Amino acid sequence: MINPVQPNPCKILSVKKESQHEWTYRVATDAKPEHGQFMQLSIPMIGEAPISVSAQGDGWLEFTIRNVGKVTNVIFEKTAGDTLFLRGPYGKGWPVEQFKGKHMVVITGGTGLAPVRSMLNFFAANPGYVKDVTLICGFKNEEGIVFHSELETWKSKFKTIYALDNDTKEGWRTGMVTAFVKEIPFDQWGDDYAVVVVGPPPMMKFTGLELIKCNAKAENIWMSFERKMSCAVGKCGHCRIDEVYVCLDGPVFPYTVARDLVD
Amino acid sequence: MNRDINVKKVRLNCFRQSKVPGVFMLQMRVPGGTVAAKYLTYVQHIAETWGDGSFHFGTRQTFDIPGIQYDDIPAVNEYLETYIREVDSEMCGADMNTVAHEPHPWDPKSGYPTIGARNITGCIGNYHCICGNINTFELARKIESIIFPSHYHIKINISGCPNDCNKAHMCDFGIIGTSKIDYHPERCLGCARCVEQCEHAATRVLSLNEATGKIEKDPCCCVGCAECARVCPASAWTRREKPLYKVILGGRTGRQTPRAGKMFLNWASEDVILGVLKNWQKFSAWVMDYKPEYLHGGHLIDRAGYKKFKEIILEGVELNPECLVAEDIFWHETEYRSNFNVKPLSMHHTAGPKA
Amino acid sequence: MSYILNTQQADKVLGALAEKYGVYAPKRFVNQGRYSATDSIRYDKVSSASEIVWQVKSDYPAKEVINPIQQAIFYFTEDEYRASKAKEQPVLIFARPCDINAQKIQAKILAGNGGFTDMYYERMRERVKFILMDCNGGDDTCFCVSMGSNTVDESDYAAAVKFSDQGMEVKVIDPELEPFFAGCDTCGFTPEFVKENELKVTVPDLSDKEVRLALKKHPMWQEFNSRCVSCGACTVACSTCTCFTTRDVIYGENPEVGERRRVTASCQIAGFDQMAGQREFRSTAGDRMRFKVLHKFHDYKARFGDRHMCVGCGRCTHRCPELISISATVNKVNAAVEEIKASMGKA
Repeated sequence: MINPVQPNPCKILSVKKESQHEWTYRVATDAKPEHGQFMQLSIPMIGEAPISVSAQGDGWLEFTIRNVGKVTNVIFEKTAGDTLFLRGPYGKGWPVEQFKGKHMVVITGGTGLAPVRSMLNFFAANPGYVKDVTLICGFKNEEGIVFHSELETWKSKFKTIYALDNDTKEGWRTGMVTAFVKEIPFDQWGDDYAVVVVGPPPMMKFTGLELIKCNAKAENIWMSFERKMSCAVGKCGHCRIDEVYVCLDGPVFPYTVARDLVD
Repeated sequence: MNRDINVKKVRLNCFRQSKVPGVFMLQMRVPGGTVAAKYLTYVQHIAETWGDGSFHFGTRQTFDIPGIQYDDIPAVNEYLETYIREVDSEMCGADMNTVAHEPHPWDPKSGYPTIGARNITGCIGNYHCICGNINTFELARKIESIIFPSHYHIKINISGCPNDCNKAHMCDFGIIGTSKIDYHPERCLGCARCVEQCEHAATRVLSLNEATGKIEKDPCCCVGCAECARVCPASAWTRREKPLYKVILGGRTGRQTPRAGKMFLNWASEDVILGVLKNWQKFSAWVMDYKPEYLHGGHLIDRAGYKKFKEIILEGVELNPECLVAEDIFWHETEYRSNFNVKPLSMHHTAGPKA
Repeated sequence: MSYILNTQQADKVLGALAEKYGVYAPKRFVNQGRYSATDSIRYDKVSSASEIVWQVKSDYPAKEVINPIQQAIFYFTEDEYRASKAKEQPVLIFARPCDINAQKIQAKILAGNGGFTDMYYERMRERVKFILMDCNGGDDTCFCVSMGSNTVDESDYAAAVKFSDQGMEVKVIDPELEPFFAGCDTCGFTPEFVKENELKVTVPDLSDKEVRLALKKHPMWQEFNSRCVSCGACTVACSTCTCFTTRDVIYGENPEVGERRRVTASCQIAGFDQMAGQREFRSTAGDRMRFKVLHKFHDYKARFGDRHMCVGCGRCTHRCPELISISATVNKVNAAVEEIKASMGKA
């Protein structure tokens, strides 16, 4: 009998400190997740948590973990050569096929950048896959900024707006990401664009409303949810919203579905 | 009004002297504070036939009927026969032909043979209350036959749980119903609802062990209220089959040395409670040299000293294994006799040689 | 074949069954109820008929046998998670129709949802055969007929039993059980099902998305902010609730060795949807009640299609310490839906 919740041991290849609270772990695994999918990551005696795949390559995956919980705390003690346990990948990722040839808009808040990072790297590595990329990244403050080197790389490849909520930084703008939505030329794009939004729940909610206000079509918007999960396979019930299970039907949802979900 | 009445004799018969010479108030015993509602018609009848038509809830849960003329007492007593027989003799099994366990034929037309051991009070207990651990009036009825009739004074209050609504702490012999609790970790969700409740309503002996997701308990300070069992959504805490009791000893009100009682027994079985109370007459008789006088039970313990009290009261009582007995008790009286806390400094006697 | 057994015969047959099977049935736990001098009736192993409580509905559902409140799913060391071993003894569960139907519902989630089958559920379920207990009508919290869970098919049980003070009548379906009744008197017993409950519940029509969205915002849920204490007793007692949390536990002082446990969880208890370092999505008792009620009377069916999740066993009402009645709550939903439809001109 297959045990869908069986964790498998994986070696940590490297650990990179993104910010004071966010570290990226590169782990050896043959898993080939789609962009935007997540894995269940566990450590004996601490437990298990869903973590989105923030980058992937041949024989490895990266997970960017924020030090907030019981599980993540202990992960921070792990170094290269140590073992982590993985199962997955799970859920529905970004419908990258549907984005092909379109104007791409990516709006993120804080570590919401992690679940789109591998897709952004894919767009950067495959110019022409999408027409162009408009990337709006917001962070609370300078300490919260993650993926510094990628942000630099993307700056040269995409149209970027990087912003801090209440802080100033050279070359960066100040304000919530919602404030910059009106700068996206949806009216010039017809129906030929796709928008993805990831961040904390209020950020996604207000960004969605702002997008609609700026004439973006609900059908062209996707969002990625983060919810508590114990099993990631539709059993434990923690991530259910209405008739939807975030682990199975998400974490990526079309906005037409996401806007009506009531926790 | 010029009446020659032996008020002490009348008091012994459970009629209390009033401000008006020759007018008395009847006190009907209601062991545990619960009797069939039909007896209210007796109360009404007495009050309207011989009393002033009113009725008072006695502070010791007696039915009190004021305004009874001395000359009507024989008629009232005759009417009381059915009540005393049904309640004390038949329901509680009190042997009305004894006083303090000595043969003493009762004239059924003469009313209560003695006021000595006061009416046993009780909260409603687990007959009704969601917090109660014991059936207070069933216990009261068992005790009634042990302490009544007797000229020796004792006030017993029974509370169904350690919330002590019935003030077991403020009488000679207070009984509090408790439960020993079993934990079933296999049923525990780790929600810590019990921890919250124990913190909020009891002695804060529970804590959630984050590493195991289970509850840990400091059994030493558990008061046995069973609030954990009451609030657990999954029956992970359950009461043992038989309740146990705390005895709070030597509490009292009064003009001289009021004080709250202190714990004498913890986790005592019903057999222990009844066994101890069976020794009450013996203890009282010994203290007063076998001559009952009008002296409150708690004062007898003061006279004898706690050690002597313990020696006599536990004689022949086999303690259940869980039962703990106080090694010593140090009561703390309100300082009515010295008033040193409320007296101005200038009124205090100074210590040392006077100039 | 059907048989009639007196109490001694019934005890003997149960004794023989208990040697081969793990036999589980509602049992009385004296003085273990919520309040003192009250009993708790819950499922446990039995080895005689006289232990089985058939006169009244159990406080806790049969699901506890299949989905225990707690079970070890893995034993771990520093470098391995080893799944706990399955037990092999076959299991018989005495259950009323509501509890048997509840397993069909639990299976939709645990053995199907998203194409994943939970190994722990499935391997247990494979060992289980039900013995249908004739339901004497339940109590005034029951509304199985309204929820269509008053009946089961013959394929759902291995035998059907009707207990009485004199013994029991049995209809054996599964040939595997026939030998246990050899020599018993035969009779014409066939199980009957409750045809009508005193309590009837009308399931609200929530097919309209706009109505549903309005219902979620309706002030009716605020009542529960002050009434419901979010203890989760309703979901523990629920015949169909499946939610669980996993927890890693270490043995004693050695942090290298331990187990991963699955523990029943409740959407009614604070923290159910809370992620580390974040705010709860459903932070009030009203939110949680709305979430539970809509799952039982809309969301489950919207996903799985066949029927509503609630089987009408009434145990949530029966166990609620604050006397919140699920049927009364559903009636309030109905009233709110009427009001909403009227205000939208959809009545």
